[in-house]
Amino acid sequence: MAITLNINGRDYSIDADPQMPLLWAIREKAGLMGTKFGCGIAQCGACTVIVDGNAVRSCNTPVATAVGKSVRTIEGVSENNDHPVQVAWQDLTVPQCGYCQSGQIMSAVALLERTPEPSDNEIDKAMAGNICRCGTYPRIRAAIHKAAEMSKT
Amino acid sequence: MTAYHRPTDLDAALRLLADTGATVAAGCTDLFPATDRRALPGPVLDITAIPALRGIVATPEGLRLGATTTWTDVIRADLPPAFDMLKEAAREVGSVQIQTAGTLAGNLCNASPAADGVPCLLALDAGVELASTTGTRRLPLSAFLTGPRQTARRPDELLAAIHIPAAATAGRSRFLKLGARKYLVISIAMVAARIATDAGRVTQAAIAVGACSATARRLPDLERALTGAPATALAAHVTEDRIAPALSPIDDIRADAAYRTHAAAELVRRALTDLSPQEAAA
Ligand SMILES: Cc1cc2nc3c(=O)[nH]c(=O)nc-3n(C[C@H](O)[C@H](O)[C@H](O)COP(=O)(O)OP(=O)(O)OC[C@H]3O[C@@H](n4cnc5c(N)ncnc54)[C@H](O)[C@@H]3O)c2cc1C
Ligand code: FES
Ligand code: FES
Repeated sequence: MAITLNINGRDYSIDADPQMPLLWAIREKAGLMGTKFGCGIAQCGACTVIVDGNAVRSCNTPVATAVGKSVRTIEGVSENNDHPVQVAWQDLTVPQCGYCQSGQIMSAVALLERTPEPSDNEIDKAMAGNICRCGTYPRIRAAIHKAAEMSKT
Repeated sequence: MTAYHRPTDLDAALRLLADTGATVAAGCTDLFPATDRRALPGPVLDITAIPALRGIVATPEGLRLGATTTWTDVIRADLPPAFDMLKEAAREVGSVQIQTAGTLAGNLCNASPAADGVPCLLALDAGVELASTTGTRRLPLSAFLTGPRQTARRPDELLAAIHIPAAATAGRSRFLKLGARKYLVISIAMVAARIATDAGRVTQAAIAVGACSATARRLPDLERALTGAPATALAAHVTEDRIAPALSPIDDIRADAAYRTHAAAELVRRALTDLSPQEAAA
């Protein structure tokens, strides 16, 4: 079926089964490989994208439900990798292997858009759905505080 | 390619359901993880584009929560303190991404004994509205949930809304969940408690326990003991023999039966302590 998806402000016309997980539509149909497949069963958060301002897991989101909405992926966070979250991530060298990190960044971006100065507790709650096998959690928390600080000025 | 329907009209959805027996899909947070393939088997009826099923509105009889109301919708809604427990549960359902997609009705229809929404909605005296091409019927939530993963829903019916009677929107409430860790956890036991008081006396006590029986249960013995009692030191009324008869906990991978009963009693005690006025002032 022909579907039009708006990803990062651009319309993509793709041919997909309407119940195809959004993750596959993004990766295989739109060719945007930044969003990762971790578990495929809504457990890990590696596939997190932002749909109409809210973080969702793209692996359990049928692509049909994203039609008419605005989808943001890691590629759309900024033009030049200079979103405060990305800058803080680089400054504090948050990633280790990196696999979970595009999902982490999408959750962090969604959090800061609603809660510009989150507490540790708010960060933990918002980020609980993103698992990192390398255990970069302390650096993620620090980087979110840093990004919040940078966004203030 | 299996048929995938995404109507915007409720009547069209009900006709499709009657004609095709399609699998209903809402947030897909239970559905998709349950299929170890990329696609769901058989025709799918996606109900998330139907405006008539969305939103929380006041009705002459109380409050109506549309079927596709998500956990995030609940968290962000302006609701009386009787709903604090539902908000607390909502913040603990999985993680933010799950709360954005997952719906209350999906939680009820999936009918897991560990569904966090159920004890809260039981303590709010919730009823469910089931719609089909042949009409609409209402059932108390307790009658809707017939067993683990079993409901009274006919395959041609859609859970259209959850109704909370006005009388049950009174009081303050608390939800407590015990899991093996803080986040992203399936409950070992959870408790929802709502207490309404007037002139220093308890006028309504609604307490439900989940994950300790085939379906979550209210605690009628304890509720009777609390009703009319002074609205202080509520936890003192909690005894195991006022709790255990309503429950039939199972041994499973997460906990054994004795531990569950003990945990349920302790959670009820803590919830009632939080709802006792002198604690609130302290
Ligand atoms: C990582 C993860 C963590 C989770 N954590 C929790 C948790 O902590 N607590 C908890 O309680 N749950 C948890 N869940 C389970 C799930 O997220 C919730 O039960 C959620 O509310 C289900 O809603 P949904 O809209 O996604 O349902 P769906 O997956 O869309 O549907 C679930 C079932 O209900 C049926 N259905 C849905 N809506 C209707 C309707 N209106 N009428 C008739 N049938 C319908 C579907 O056919 C399906 O059988 C978790 C899930 C995941 C993946
Ligand atoms: S790939 Fe989606 S949650 Fe793991
Ligand atoms: S950096 Fe390796 S999984 Fe997170």
